[in-house]
Amino acid sequence: MLQASLEFLKREFFKYYYENISRLVPPEPIRSREFGFFLEKGRGMFRHKCFNSLKDFHEFILNAIPLDIYVSAANYEDPGNRDMSEKKLVNAELFFDIDAESVAAVSEEESAWICQKCGQYGIGLIDRCSSCNSPTELVRLVSEKQLKEALRETEKLIHVLTEDFGIAPENIHVFYSGNRGYHVHVNQEDFLNITGEGRREIVDYLLIQGLDEKELLNFLKKGANIEGVSFKGVKRRVYMRILEKAGSMEKLKASGRETVLKTLVNAVEELKVRIDPVVTIDMHRLMRMPESINSSSGMVKRRIRLEDLPSFKPLEEAIAFGDEEACLKVKIVPRFSLGGKTFGPFKDEEVELPAYAAVYIVCKGLGEYAGR
Amino acid sequence: MMGENVLRAARYPFLPEAREFISRNIDLSLESLEKTGSEAALKRAVERVKNSLIFKEVKVTALDELNYVREMLSFPIAIILVSMIMNEYVRRMYALGESRGAYRRMLNESVETLLYIGEKMGVGGVLEDENTIRVKIPTYLRLAYSFHAPHWKLVNRAVNNGYVTMGKTEYARLIQVEVNNYVYEKTLEPVPPGAVPDIFRKAADEIVELWNRLETGKASRIPLKEREDTPPCIGRIIRRMENGENASHFERLVVATFMIARNRNIEEIIEFFSKQPDYKYSVTKYQVEHLAGIRGGGKKYSVPSCRTILTNGLCYPDEYCKGVKHPLRYGEKNVAGEPRIS
Repeated sequence: MLQASLEFLKREFFKYYYENISRLVPPEPIRSREFGFFLEKGRGMFRHKCFNSLKDFHEFILNAIPLDIYVSAANYEDPGNRDMSEKKLVNAELFFDIDAESVAAVSEEESAWICQKCGQYGIGLIDRCSSCNSPTELVRLVSEKQLKEALRETEKLIHVLTEDFGIAPENIHVFYSGNRGYHVHVNQEDFLNITGEGRREIVDYLLIQGLDEKELLNFLKKGANIEGVSFKGVKRRVYMRILEKAGSMEKLKASGRETVLKTLVNAVEELKVRIDPVVTIDMHRLMRMPESINSSSGMVKRRIRLEDLPSFKPLEEAIAFGDEEACLKVKIVPRFSLGGKTFGPFKDEEVELPAYAAVYIVCKGLGEYAGR
Repeated sequence: MMGENVLRAARYPFLPEAREFISRNIDLSLESLEKTGSEAALKRAVERVKNSLIFKEVKVTALDELNYVREMLSFPIAIILVSMIMNEYVRRMYALGESRGAYRRMLNESVETLLYIGEKMGVGGVLEDENTIRVKIPTYLRLAYSFHAPHWKLVNRAVNNGYVTMGKTEYARLIQVEVNNYVYEKTLEPVPPGAVPDIFRKAADEIVELWNRLETGKASRIPLKEREDTPPCIGRIIRRMENGENASHFERLVVATFMIARNRNIEEIIEFFSKQPDYKYSVTKYQVEHLAGIRGGGKKYSVPSCRTILTNGLCYPDEYCKGVKHPLRYGEKNVAGEPRIS
């Protein structure tokens, strides 16, 4: 990234933070959280930072204009200590990350490739350079289709959290990550103290791992009534889905064990919630700060009210910047939608774009700032 | 306290009312302990610990219960004795003995009594119908994570609206874990040397002597020979890798740390990885040495536990996996059986 581009980003970021600083409220209590920041592109994270008050936190942001802001899911006795074990963990929110990429594949026309060796580039999903045949680097844009799938997974997650885990809706905070996924924070008193081991059980429950298939198959074979107490929660859902897929109990009993097993595997595939297991198990995780800018896209990690979830449009509602025009020198950009408009594709050209789209392209590393 | 409740407190001396009963009715000062009939309680305390070491269970007969003052008093004394010994194994065995004994007795209790004990021990349960009890998920996870049978996994449980449903026996098992934790933590409290009478010191010595005898009578756990001690999960990854299949980062980590733990030499391990499609000698050498703690911070990486392997979808247990919680424990068996004492 050229210096001019970085300055352009910092200027735009400053404007956003100056006008929206009151939206940046870290989870309480602020004194017991660790903060982390990326201040420059390509430099490591500045972390183990802590603040005594919201005012100090806001001052720091307006002075430093970080590219990315993170806050710990955990509360610590000494959040500023550089030694993780000396921080003394008190408890931690449950935190889930749903990554759009692990949920759905990206389409050809929304992708671009760049050859690191000969500098050749183009649109499409090509893993070998068309001129020198070396491996290419794929540029991943934010795909609306992928995000839609991820949103569906998020809704599945919320269903399990409320129905099975009994978590009160007001303790569930859902966010669009600002790039390619969704975050769900759970701040419910009795769940804060669940250990790493316990979180692993929650992860296995959501991913339906370690399911006692034998028991389920035996039940199915017997055609037993599942109204008994032992079939509630995810096991019940799997059971019902198998029956649904098979059509009826009679058809299911008539089919062989192999077929039933296959139906079971498919049912599990449909029902599991595709969270990133590592994120949830790790109590020391730093979460992207709500309402802060995600420098991989220039969009905001936006809070979504549960009732707005079905109609949420990430690529319109998470825009941080205005639409005054900026000029960019663009290498290669596949077609993309942002702020309700469609842009591109562009190749080797100078284009004038609204600030939010210009920031997006610069953040993705696909163009450089060339003045107003 | 009603008569029945006194007997219950004698049966479960870790309950708060047993503590209250003692502090209300018995003079706990040192002089009086030495003078009064506390010798019987001390004797019973020694028996509690010995029961734990030998039978892994504290037995309480109907007669013991009727001797309720002695019985209630013997529990805190036993804790003092175990604290004095300051041996981790004795601590764990005693906690296990008390909790297993309590579990055995709880199985014969009415569901109401069970719920009462659970409530007092911080394992609150709600009666669903006469045979089923609901426990809050966080409570369940805190206690059940140490169990490894598949039916204890949350994914295999009846989970609804924040609760896990279970039968009486399983509920008693959860309480057992909490009793175990409670007793263990109590024995960690230090006992100042001058604070106990001489007869306590003698009693503690008697337990130490028994413990030493048990230790020498016990054969060590002998690992079986190489091929048989590779658990099926790791064997499966190894076979796939031998066929040149591309293994994931985690699979490679499991195999490498396992081989390091089994003392295979570094070159041998690198040679094994050479069948991987993206193999590079220098990279593999660097990574394996890193895992072995030869490079970097000198931290040797441990083999992931069975639970982690399961979470990563790589667990394929066989009959020898029963009770094994860590891949390195696979294939060990206790040749000596139960300790012999005379």
